Amino acid sequence: MRFTTSTMDLMPLQASQPFDPSKYRYTGPNVQPRQLPNTRSQAPITTGTSVIGLQFDGGVMIAADKLGSYGSLARYQNIGRLMRVNDHVILGCTGDYADFQFLRDIIDQKMIDEECLDDGIVTRAPALHCWLTRVLYNRRSRFDPLWTTFVVGGLDDDGKPFLGFVDKLGTAYTAPQIVSGMGGHLATPLLREKMDGQPPLSEAAARELLIRCMTVCYYRDCRAFSKFQIATLKAGSIKIEDDLEVKGDWEVAHFSKEHA
Amino acid sequence: MSILEYNGGAVIAMKGKDCVAIASDLRYGIRLHTHGTNFPKVFEMGPRLYLGLPGLLTDTQTVHERLKFRLNLFELRENRPVSPKTFGAMVSNFLYERRFGPYFVEPVVAGLDEDGKPYLNVMDLIGCETETDDFVVSGVCNEQMYGMCESLWEPDLEPADLFETIAQALINGFDRNAGTGWGAIVHVIEKDKVTTRTVKTRMD
Amino acid sequence: MMSVQTMQPGARETAAGGPRQRYFYPYADNGGTVVAIAGDDFVVVASDTRLSSGYSIYTRDQKKTFQLSERTILGSTGCWCDVLTMTKVLRARMQMYRHEHNKAMSTGAVAQLLSTMLYHKRFFPYYVSNVLAGLDENGKGIVYHYDPVGHHDPGKCYTGGSGGALIQPLLDNQINYKNQENVTPEPLTVKKTVSIIKDVFTSACERDIYTGDAVAIQVITKDGITEELFPLRRD
Repeated sequence: MRFTTSTMDLMPLQASQPFDPSKYRYTGPNVQPRQLPNTRSQAPITTGTSVIGLQFDGGVMIAADKLGSYGSLARYQNIGRLMRVNDHVILGCTGDYADFQFLRDIIDQKMIDEECLDDGIVTRAPALHCWLTRVLYNRRSRFDPLWTTFVVGGLDDDGKPFLGFVDKLGTAYTAPQIVSGMGGHLATPLLREKMDGQPPLSEAAARELLIRCMTVCYYRDCRAFSKFQIATLKAGSIKIEDDLEVKGDWEVAHFSKEHA
Repeated sequence: MSILEYNGGAVIAMKGKDCVAIASDLRYGIRLHTHGTNFPKVFEMGPRLYLGLPGLLTDTQTVHERLKFRLNLFELRENRPVSPKTFGAMVSNFLYERRFGPYFVEPVVAGLDEDGKPYLNVMDLIGCETETDDFVVSGVCNEQMYGMCESLWEPDLEPADLFETIAQALINGFDRNAGTGWGAIVHVIEKDKVTTRTVKTRMD
Repeated sequence: MMSVQTMQPGARETAAGGPRQRYFYPYADNGGTVVAIAGDDFVVVASDTRLSSGYSIYTRDQKKTFQLSERTILGSTGCWCDVLTMTKVLRARMQMYRHEHNKAMSTGAVAQLLSTMLYHKRFFPYYVSNVLAGLDENGKGIVYHYDPVGHHDPGKCYTGGSGGALIQPLLDNQINYKNQENVTPEPLTVKKTVSIIKDVFTSACERDIYTGDAVAIQVITKDGITEELFPLRRD
């Protein structure tokens, strides 16, 4: 039974938690925050973890592992989260996989429609990035978000590498290296260490760095997986490597008591 | 609104060359209502030792009284004045005794130690101490005062310059906060004297 | 200091120690600081270039100023997705004005339009702190500061964003001579203004984790707009 008199629950006497003065209520009854009316899309279901993208000399590269998680269950172990949009744009998706599939179908249809016009105009990465920004922002404004984060790669109108980020709110930016999801905390430092204030990476160096980042994510992100893809975009070519795998080094396990 | 912001009030302290200054506003209010304009939050605890207690003002008074009591007992037992560092530890311990039902004050200890060296210390409401070599701020307009201090303060200020710096930092800071202001009091502590000034400010 | 949240928006405790339920929160705080100072025949607008979310830095290279015309610049921080949308709509509305009246909008007209646009979303606001700066019809510098729902106030110098509270009192003191006695105000020069802006940003990024990396300073005069990038601490 709960006491309803306000004096009884003035202070949460939980010794396990640090005291937070902003939570201390010194007058009046507890005002519950108003429940939002909408209950759609309030949580992602089948999810993908980090997408890592970087620019190199003459192109962009995006990597993502092939796991679709169902909560903590490693549910789908061979699904691709990278997408070739057309000859000029690649895309990677973190977050709800169903929302990704939904948008992928729309984008695919857009590309078909564009092809049918046959007017020589093609969607490039900045345009698709901008379009995604609007779609995601409009959905968040309707309180019915697409629970995803996208990394868009390609070349801009001047042929320079373009890498853009959009999240479920419509927050967007471009940068030479972009990591979504958990990898933002794990891989960003590795990328910035090799890229900040230095000349553009070569394609080989970029690929090596990306694999290093995927390895670290596999070690430390519980929702990451060993099998992954890398999409490489250069002027006039897109290559998606589908069968890559992190070669984990478990040598050090012998030094651990539990594994001895 | 946090209970620490219920009455308003701000305290600031700064080190100078062989001197230290501590200051507070004079407002006494309840939320947005100003009741009094002569409520210093800085107290003399010894000849060269001052204590600032911004926060919930009923606790300011209680903590001041109880610390004065403990300080008197210390001085009777030890037959010597307390050093600022020791007093800081005393305040910290006193607050931590009430770890799960704290006094809502965030104290500042400022003074000169036995060798005449400046000492500065600020605590949170359960006694986590931070000693600094430059300045400390506490109370509801700490962001504004931090901005002022980061720009105005420099090392080894003489007492006159230290007074001007701390007064400007406090007054311009609290003028941008509705819960503070209505006059200021500044103490500049030197080896052989303490200069206390009340400063006229805008009263709105 | 006391506003530190132990729970992120978007996470709610269902029961003590029980499972966490995520709900959708449509806003984010992406940090950033803008400052604008007006002189007699110029105006200086500056923003830092850090875009962040929580303890992560998204990019160190994102200005928060938007050039709207030859004589007007908007500085905008807060929820970055709202900033992007709001500036897009604002630019479209300015273009419509141009087509309708065959002239560029004056700074005062942009100021009123922005207020109207913000109030239009009164019950689902753009979570944005705006500082609009420009030259008025007489070539005099002017700065407008906005709250998220369109209240605005013209003035001489304003700051907005995460470091605003740290910077504003210093500008009161140094630009408007608040709490200074026996001083004769000197007219501001571009050089002095830019130097003050560098100082206030250097100070702000000592204490505000959402301000840093660099400050982009833009100066509007009758001769056009110049821009300078000044590095700040990156930690």
